[in-house]
Amino acid sequence: MRMLGVFEKGERIRHIGHLDIQRAVQRGLRRSGLPVAYSNGFNPHILVAFASALSTGACGLREIMDVTMAREVTETEFLTCMNRAMPPELRLQEARRVEDRHPALTASLKAAMYELRFRDAEQAEKLIAAIPVLMKRETVPAVRKTKSGLKECDIKPWIYALRGEGSVVYATMALTEREACKPPMLLEALRREAGIPEEEEVRLLVVRTSLLGENDAGVFIPLEKL
Amino acid sequence: MNMNDRIESLLEKVQKAPRYTGGEMNTQVKGWDEAPLHFVFCFPDTYEVGMSHLGMKILTGLINDQSWSLCERCFMPWVDMMEGMKAQQVPLFSLESRRPLKEFDVIGFTLMYEMSYSNVLAMLEMGGVPLERRDRGESDPIVVAGGGCASNPEPISDFIDAFMIGAGEEVMLELNRVILDRKEQGWTREECLKRLAQVEGVYVPSLYDAEYNEDGTLKSFRPNCPEAPARVMKRYVDNFDQAYFPTRTAVPYTEVVFDRITLEIMRGCTRGCRFCQAGMLYRPVRERSLETLVRQAEALVESTGYEEISLSSLSSGDYSCLPELIRELMRRMKDKRVSISLPSLRIDSVLKESLEETQQVKKSSLTFAPEAGTQRLRDVINKGVTEEDLIEKARDAFEGGWSSIKLYFMDGLPTETTEDLDGIADLAQKVVGEYFKVPKATRAKGLRVTVSCSTFVPKPHTPFQWAAQDTIPVINEKQEHLREVLKIKGVNFNWHAPHLSYLEACFSRGDRRIGRVLKRAYERGCILDGWSDQFKFDEWMAAFADCGLDPAFYANRVRAKDELFPWDFLDCGVTKAYLWREKEKSDRAEITRDCRQGCNGCGIQRFPGLCAYADPKRNQAPSPSLLPYEPAEKPEEDQAEGRNA
Repeated sequence: MRMLGVFEKGERIRHIGHLDIQRAVQRGLRRSGLPVAYSNGFNPHILVAFASALSTGACGLREIMDVTMAREVTETEFLTCMNRAMPPELRLQEARRVEDRHPALTASLKAAMYELRFRDAEQAEKLIAAIPVLMKRETVPAVRKTKSGLKECDIKPWIYALRGEGSVVYATMALTEREACKPPMLLEALRREAGIPEEEEVRLLVVRTSLLGENDAGVFIPLEKL
Repeated sequence: MNMNDRIESLLEKVQKAPRYTGGEMNTQVKGWDEAPLHFVFCFPDTYEVGMSHLGMKILTGLINDQSWSLCERCFMPWVDMMEGMKAQQVPLFSLESRRPLKEFDVIGFTLMYEMSYSNVLAMLEMGGVPLERRDRGESDPIVVAGGGCASNPEPISDFIDAFMIGAGEEVMLELNRVILDRKEQGWTREECLKRLAQVEGVYVPSLYDAEYNEDGTLKSFRPNCPEAPARVMKRYVDNFDQAYFPTRTAVPYTEVVFDRITLEIMRGCTRGCRFCQAGMLYRPVRERSLETLVRQAEALVESTGYEEISLSSLSSGDYSCLPELIRELMRRMKDKRVSISLPSLRIDSVLKESLEETQQVKKSSLTFAPEAGTQRLRDVINKGVTEEDLIEKARDAFEGGWSSIKLYFMDGLPTETTEDLDGIADLAQKVVGEYFKVPKATRAKGLRVTVSCSTFVPKPHTPFQWAAQDTIPVINEKQEHLREVLKIKGVNFNWHAPHLSYLEACFSRGDRRIGRVLKRAYERGCILDGWSDQFKFDEWMAAFADCGLDPAFYANRVRAKDELFPWDFLDCGVTKAYLWREKEKSDRAEITRDCRQGCNGCGIQRFPGLCAYADPKRNQAPSPSLLPYEPAEKPEEDQAEGRNA
């Protein structure tokens, strides 16, 4: 069996990169005393996968780990043991037991919801005012980092929902291996529309609030519920 | 922007922000008002280096375990952060509560390395604390320091209010208690310092005066008030087996230098290598029992989730029941997939079998430290390794499937000649030869013999404290020679330019006056000297010139037998008379036996019950000229009893 664990990456540790988060979770699993499964081979490691890597500098409210267990464990047991073993900045909120044949999270991941919390109210106002202009455009060119280098792309079809309120921009955007609009790409486009010059610093906190999959009816639902 | 916003904004721009954010697993955060005494433990190097340091783990744990004190952490920021902090007027802050250093009652530095002294100055200044102790007022924190380099505190004594000599576990809480009493009783700073001076193992530099001879050597060094003892005794851990050892240690998020469990199995060493300061300072040898170690290991594995345990001591191979310990740890850790990294020197055949069974040996690389290239020179430094030993171990390793061996040497050892340098190449050649003797079919591919050479630095409290360091041109020549003779197929040669070692030599045996050079160099921009990309040798030389002091006086001068040393007022256990005897034996290339084969009368035998191998009959009176501060009115037994009380 496998256990899907929904966890938070807290604001204090937002500068910790994905590899370090992975290691922290693995050590947490070791401390928990839970019967986790190990890989075979010379350097056995815990079988744990993550739905999606979260960028350095961003925090996440509902990130998901996928842990293969060596024997049956209840969801409550998993939650209790993990929360005793994890630092406060990496709390688990929910656990869901799934069968071994449950599809891999990375394969089912379709999109993510973000909050871009701007530090400066005036800048936020300008950027939010640019949203309707951006959404009316046919195409929104952006540059995407891929394994083979920088690639030009159109992010317009990848922005599923976009609105602003106060000094926060709420966005739902595509997140698959082939199609992904990351918050910096969105910010770049918004800055352009709002006419904020390149040299002006825009400070913000990026929070990924949810990871989404698609149900049979073609509707986005939280990935861990799929 | 408030302070926290300014810090957050800086963190978005610097490399490696996690160095400054804290919040790691097992880092205790006590509320500021939960404990009356506020201590900040400062490590004068980066987070990655500091978080690997066992002493820091021990002392932060110990202070936080007391209901009346809290301990936060602070590390030397990297250049980018430092510049940003200066620009944004952010004072150096603690990781836990982000308070500037100046808001703490006590600032404690650990001094592991002379070339981190400039960082101490930088941290104090950035933390809002007056650099020099004489400029500190009633509301400023008390700045204390301990660690290996406190065995000659003088070079940095203008900047530190009180030093802890010897085992921090013993003296730390007593010192904190006095500072808490001051807070409660409203003592003046001066009164507090005088009371600190009465804690055994505490040296308060403001209470002592130094006078110099015309030739620059020390003429006298004495207390200037009745509260300060003429001689400061080092503190020892009375019961090492039961001594405080933290079982919930911080687990950093980012990779640090030693990212694993460190189990201190033994303190001290019986081998008596003459260049080794730790070997002299941490006497006598004391072991932790197998039961205690297994208990600590299990608790640490449970609380940290680390996947590796390393055994720490000066010479782990000498731990009396090492095979039993390793077997027991492996048995208990097998299901938890915890690997044990072994001291590579002592893998006996029985152990090798059990290692192979459990597949826990990573055949990465084995390290040997012959230190010198010929038997004569190894006898001079009393390094009890013979060529036969080394070759045999290399053969074992190659037959056992290793293909990579590291050999550590020093250049510039006393009496070293070209023959000794050639001996290094000869030894490397023989090790390579052993590899090729193993049939091609059975040996591992990819022979790699790495020869690393560091420049010898004479240290206080060692038999070489009288010796001169080779000058930089001489070392350069020797390294050039080594590069020539070590052009051997399969051999890599690593060396370091001698400039840093030269300064290390100046500061390790420096006096009070050299503190001016330190301050001047810091003003000239010297910080993070241990990092080769930051080290500014020319600025250091200019700082010496600015202060009218000659570095060669400290580094390259042979010192007279009866010279009064700046550290002579500290009793670190080993007597000056013993060190001189060892020095004379070294001149004759005569070896001294391992303490376990019989007591050599190093001075530890003066303290009954401290050393398992001591022979109290060796307790002869040292010659007066060598022990200028031996208090005549007090018999030594009394002192030892006082220590235990």
